[in-house]
Amino acid sequence: MVGDVHYFGIRHHGPGSARRLLEALEDVLPVEVLIEGPSDLSDLIPMLSHQDMVPPVALLAYPAGEPERSIFWPFAVFSPEYQAICWAVKKGVPVRFIDLPVYWRLPELPSSENENEQTVAPNVEHDSRFGSPRSTESPTQQPPEQSGFSIERDPIGALARVAGYEDGESWWQDVIEENPEPGPIFAAVADAMKALRDSVAPPKEHEAAREAHMRLEIAKSLKSASGPIAVVCGAWHVPALKEKHSMKDDRELLKGVAKRKISATWTPWTAPRLAIDSGYAAGVTYPGWNKHLWETSRKEQSTRWMARTARCLREQGQMVSTASLIEAERLAVAIAAIRGRPRAGFEELIDATVACICYGNEIVWKSVADKMLVGDEVGVIPEGVPLAPLLEDLQKQQKITRLKPEALERELMLDLRSESGLCRSTLLHRLNALGVGWGQLDDPGGSRGTFRERWILRWEPEYSVQLVENLIYGATIEQAATGRIIASLPKAKGLGELSNLVFQALTAQLPEAAAKVSVALEHRAGLATDCQEMLTALPPIADALRYGKARHVDMGQMAVLFDRIAVQAALGLHHASRGLDDEAAGTFRDSIRGADRAIRLIDSVALSSWLEALRDIVDDERATALIGGQAARLLYESDQLSSDEAVTLLGRKLSPGSTMSEAAGFFEGFLEGAGVRLIHDQSLRSCINDWILEIDEESFVEALPIFRRVFSNLDKMERQRLLVAALGQETQHTRYVVTQGIDHCWSEHVQTIASILKGRADHE
Amino acid sequence: MSDVLRHPAELTYADDLAALKATDHHPKPVGWVLSPQSVVTYLVGGTAGGRSIDPKYVGNRRIIETAVATLATDRALLLMGIPGTAKSWVSEHMAAAISGDSTKIIQCTAGTDENQIRYGWNYAQLLAKGPSREALVPTPLLRAMESGSICRLEELTRMGSDIQDTLITVLSEKMLPIPELNSAVYAQRGFNVIATANDRDKGVNELSAALKRRFNVVVLPLPDDLEEEIRIVTRRVSETAQSLNLPEAKNVVEEVTRVLAIFRELRSGETADGKVTIKSPSSTLSTAEAISVMVSGLSHAAYFNNGVLSADGLAANVLGAIVKDPVQDKAVLEEYLETVLKKRRDYSDYYTTLTELI
Repeated sequence: MVGDVHYFGIRHHGPGSARRLLEALEDVLPVEVLIEGPSDLSDLIPMLSHQDMVPPVALLAYPAGEPERSIFWPFAVFSPEYQAICWAVKKGVPVRFIDLPVYWRLPELPSSENENEQTVAPNVEHDSRFGSPRSTESPTQQPPEQSGFSIERDPIGALARVAGYEDGESWWQDVIEENPEPGPIFAAVADAMKALRDSVAPPKEHEAAREAHMRLEIAKSLKSASGPIAVVCGAWHVPALKEKHSMKDDRELLKGVAKRKISATWTPWTAPRLAIDSGYAAGVTYPGWNKHLWETSRKEQSTRWMARTARCLREQGQMVSTASLIEAERLAVAIAAIRGRPRAGFEELIDATVACICYGNEIVWKSVADKMLVGDEVGVIPEGVPLAPLLEDLQKQQKITRLKPEALERELMLDLRSESGLCRSTLLHRLNALGVGWGQLDDPGGSRGTFRERWILRWEPEYSVQLVENLIYGATIEQAATGRIIASLPKAKGLGELSNLVFQALTAQLPEAAAKVSVALEHRAGLATDCQEMLTALPPIADALRYGKARHVDMGQMAVLFDRIAVQAALGLHHASRGLDDEAAGTFRDSIRGADRAIRLIDSVALSSWLEALRDIVDDERATALIGGQAARLLYESDQLSSDEAVTLLGRKLSPGSTMSEAAGFFEGFLEGAGVRLIHDQSLRSCINDWILEIDEESFVEALPIFRRVFSNLDKMERQRLLVAALGQETQHTRYVVTQGIDHCWSEHVQTIASILKGRADHE
Repeated sequence: MSDVLRHPAELTYADDLAALKATDHHPKPVGWVLSPQSVVTYLVGGTAGGRSIDPKYVGNRRIIETAVATLATDRALLLMGIPGTAKSWVSEHMAAAISGDSTKIIQCTAGTDENQIRYGWNYAQLLAKGPSREALVPTPLLRAMESGSICRLEELTRMGSDIQDTLITVLSEKMLPIPELNSAVYAQRGFNVIATANDRDKGVNELSAALKRRFNVVVLPLPDDLEEEIRIVTRRVSETAQSLNLPEAKNVVEEVTRVLAIFRELRSGETADGKVTIKSPSSTLSTAEAISVMVSGLSHAAYFNNGVLSADGLAANVLGAIVKDPVQDKAVLEEYLETVLKKRRDYSDYYTTLTELI
């Protein structure tokens, strides 16, 4: 039965096997190519060889109407499957998938009933042909070690690691391609796999079903075939496919899974997502390296790799001479010789780069390692490929939230305490995170409290296009928003930006993104030295903490982080307040004010350190006057500075000994926007009064803008009263007279009010 | 039993070298005693014909492979790392294994001049006979070139930049001109240079770019593993204490563990559980530094604290080791105390005393 079937056991995403596979196909010239892949998606195959299709791309499938349960099959340019498909389409050879149809996978995926329970980890087996069929629900819940190195997934990688290689491709090259006695490679690989399979337990139900399905499909092709048939599948499966099983037994294995309608399409993929340590693992550790191996001829591999490294480093501003490249390559060859390898591979090239080009400084290499090893290319999908999932999800969400896209502007008030309000708000926030500005949040300052939101809604047709562009981040709005926020992480500079991202992730109910961002935030906070940066980070985190309460989000880590940044800021505050120019002092003052509000708002444990720091600033002669004034005022307002102390302090700062600019700065810091205080505080007023009277005319004119700023927000009445007070006229105290019999009157009054209130309540 | 205090590596480990040589079947570069593979085995341990070779260097094998491969090409090797990471130790053993001679060594200092690098003159001869080969006094470098062996330069960055640069011709053209005699010395095959340098100390002379790119640089890291580092420190502390006749304190291991935990966190820039990022001070906080902190602590304990090591006695030394820059490092330590140590109950004595001292 094996007669005319040629089995090509490949390494998924292995450029080495891709190259050999093409040679073999040319040799065999099969009349049909069968590929390990979901058999119900064979219709989509021809699109892959479309001239505008640029890998990496992925095949995406989900049960109709449930895009959140998507499964992906990524293809890179160096994937043997991709090359085989391109070859077959070019030659006009029929090509189809032979693995189990998609609906077989569904039971493994989380059902829609528990989709909202983020804590339930889906039970996903790692048995897919391209690595794990990750449910996108939990792209990061499985640590890479678990999924990455299992023997079934990447048996060749496993063999390589046993042989002491970090990278399976280097091993493939050294052992298989550089073998001095080349033989039929695929037969040798099949033998190795047979030996490996003999040493582990026979495949379990699902695995067995897959292999049974493939055997049946091969048999079907064989019946009508007029020539050789090529089967391209993971090396692991070859021995099982070659084995003889009765068709009846195989059919027996394929019973019992309900058929479902499946939607499928192509979606652009990215190089980082091919990498093993990012979300939807494709099982490739270093896609950048694999791509390099595919694109360059074997003779030039090390040279071109070194040249690319040099170019990357130069772009980073490192000085790399051509001579160093020569030396580095020679060193790589020497290391390979010591390790007994026929050719410098991945590890040797890296060791040599660090020693020769980076002067032993590994950090320099790390700065370009991602770009070199992973790469940053993004796939392109030709026009005309249905890009449904996100739009479908949007329609579904619109139905759930009962929000209709309307071109006319309309206002929407949401109460986050109600289920529907929260639901709607979340959708709008998520769309905003995706750059789809359907709803604009009015008054984002939150003066309406944390439970209310006012949105302005308006749908523009181009939003559909913008939404679809986000497909690269995920198949549903939730996943895409999560992906997009995480992807924007490396670009975020400064604590302020990061804490805004956390806030965004939280309001959009994206716990996974929020967790990622807060880790980044925490890391950044540890390294931050700029006090200003830390201060600006505090208010958004405080907002996030308050919003977290309204939105049932677990904020444990953020509260700790807030305290930590606040303590750090408090420690640095004292030094940072010295020697600032006008402009810097202004911004710094605003930041202090914001941070102070934030710290009090959430009642942080850092409050005592914060007050201490403010006190230090007040006592510090070298602190910038404006900041000193602001600190004194914050202390005064929180009763940390008694009225007497404030007067003494103000008197000292405004005494003739201090320069006009310093005194004015302190005055402004202390009283800006709080002039009304002077009406009531006799001692403060006289302090200021004395000072102003002392100022000579020229300085007074100079200081006028400050006075204006301080007193401008008093209304006419208040100004009048201040003037009267300042000019020493007797203020018209409101007189309070105790009226006889008022007790009786009062209780009657209260009763009336009570009855009115009660009556109302009864009516309702 | 000889009266020599310490023999060079090639004598101390002569048996290892002989065993490796006897079983060596890999090709040897010209001028090498052992093949590169055997040199690696000699350093990181292994077996040679039934004899087990003790590791001379405990750590990443890839580092040693890169270093040996460098010497097998004609590039010079520069071992970098903070003090106390076994740079000189590795350099000595490599020279011993490659050339069978680790004694061609130049200790570079601020006072090293060109005559100590290139060649000097025997002035009596010079006056009597004029410039001649007999009047020339060869340096270890010159002798290494002539004999085709390894020359070691210790603490390369300690000597002045102008002197360092005399090495450029030697390293790139493998020859040393002697203009006085209108001749030159050409290096024999097998000649190479192993230099060591430390990159964290203040007051070193940076290598010029021209010289730097004639070296392959291999950085020797600090021990990865806390347990391993604790063992190293405890052993060295008790050795030093014995030689200083200090009585042994009972709780050395506990205190070493706590001090090292603080050192390692500050050094690595994150807490041991990897959850909190912290800033690192400008000080090196190497294993060697931890040893000296513990030894001073022991001496304090012996004379002032009834032989018990305590946070009180150690804190001043810990502070001194961490705060090298009075402004920056102090801020770093303050932050560490407030954000990390304050929350740890078992470190409360360190927190209190350090906060008081700072």
